[in-house]
Amino acid sequence: MTFILESGYAFWNPLIWIIVFIVVMLIVYFFRRRGQKGYKKDTDQAQIFLCGEEVPEAEQRHIRVGNIYWGFFETLKEYYNVILRPHTGIINDYILWFVAATAISAIILFIAGLGK
Amino acid sequence: MSLTAFKRALWVYHLNTGSCNGCDIEILAVLTPRYDAERFGIKLVGSPRHADVLLVTGPVVRQMVSRVKRIYEQTPDPKLVMVVGNCGIEGGVFYESYSLAGPIDQIIPVDVYVPGCPPRPEAIIHGVVTAWVKLENLVKQEAA
Repeated sequence: MTFILESGYAFWNPLIWIIVFIVVMLIVYFFRRRGQKGYKKDTDQAQIFLCGEEVPEAEQRHIRVGNIYWGFFETLKEYYNVILRPHTGIINDYILWFVAATAISAIILFIAGLGK
Repeated sequence: MSLTAFKRALWVYHLNTGSCNGCDIEILAVLTPRYDAERFGIKLVGSPRHADVLLVTGPVVRQMVSRVKRIYEQTPDPKLVMVVGNCGIEGGVFYESYSLAGPIDQIIPVDVYVPGCPPRPEAIIHGVVTAWVKLENLVKQEAA
C-alpha cells in the first residue's frame, strides 16, 4: 500500500508529510537544545524587559485592535456623530425608518411613473 | 589564566543609576578603537536578559531602587554585578545626599568594584576580566 493520492496533476502522500513533520521537529529540537538554559521559569527572568519598569498586565501593555481605526474615527467624527444618533438600538425605531424609507421610495416611484 | 568553562563572549549590560556620566563616558572609551574591548569578546548589550554581567554606575537615587532590583532579577543566572566608579561604591561626591538609597551593594549583591572618579578604561577592562574569572568559577561550580 503506497498511500498515494493522485489528482492527475499532482500527488499527495501522508507518509511524506509525516517525514517532513518529523524532520522539522528535529530541527526545532536541535535549536531549542542550544538555547539559553540559565533562565528560571516563573521568575522575573522570564518577564519582558521594559527598562526596569514594572511590567503591566497584558491587557494594559497591548494596543487594542480598535485603535487601528482611530484615524478614521477622528477624521469622520462629525459624520459619525450624525449617523450614530438614529442608531438607538431599539427595533421599533428601525422598523419606523424602514417603513418611512419604503413610503418615500414608493412615492418617488409613483411620481416617476406618472410622467410616462 | 585559562578561560575554558565559559565558552562564549562576555555580554555586559550597562545600568546608570544616577551617575554624572563621567563613568559612562569612560565605559564608552573602553569600546573605542584605542581600547577595543570587543576584540576580547566583551560586548555591551541592550537588555539584561542577554547579559552575563551587570555593569552599574551611579550612586542609586531613590527612584532607581525598584528598577535596579528588577533589572537584577531579570538577568539570567549565572550573573555578576560590577560597580564602576566611587559613587556606586560609597556615594562619592553625592555621599549622604537626601536623594540617595545607595551605595549599590546595599540594594543588590556586588561582585566586582572598580573605584575611581571616573576610573580609567584600563581599570574598567581589568574589572571586567576579574568578573569574567569569577563567572568562569561560577560556571564550573554549576557544572560540577
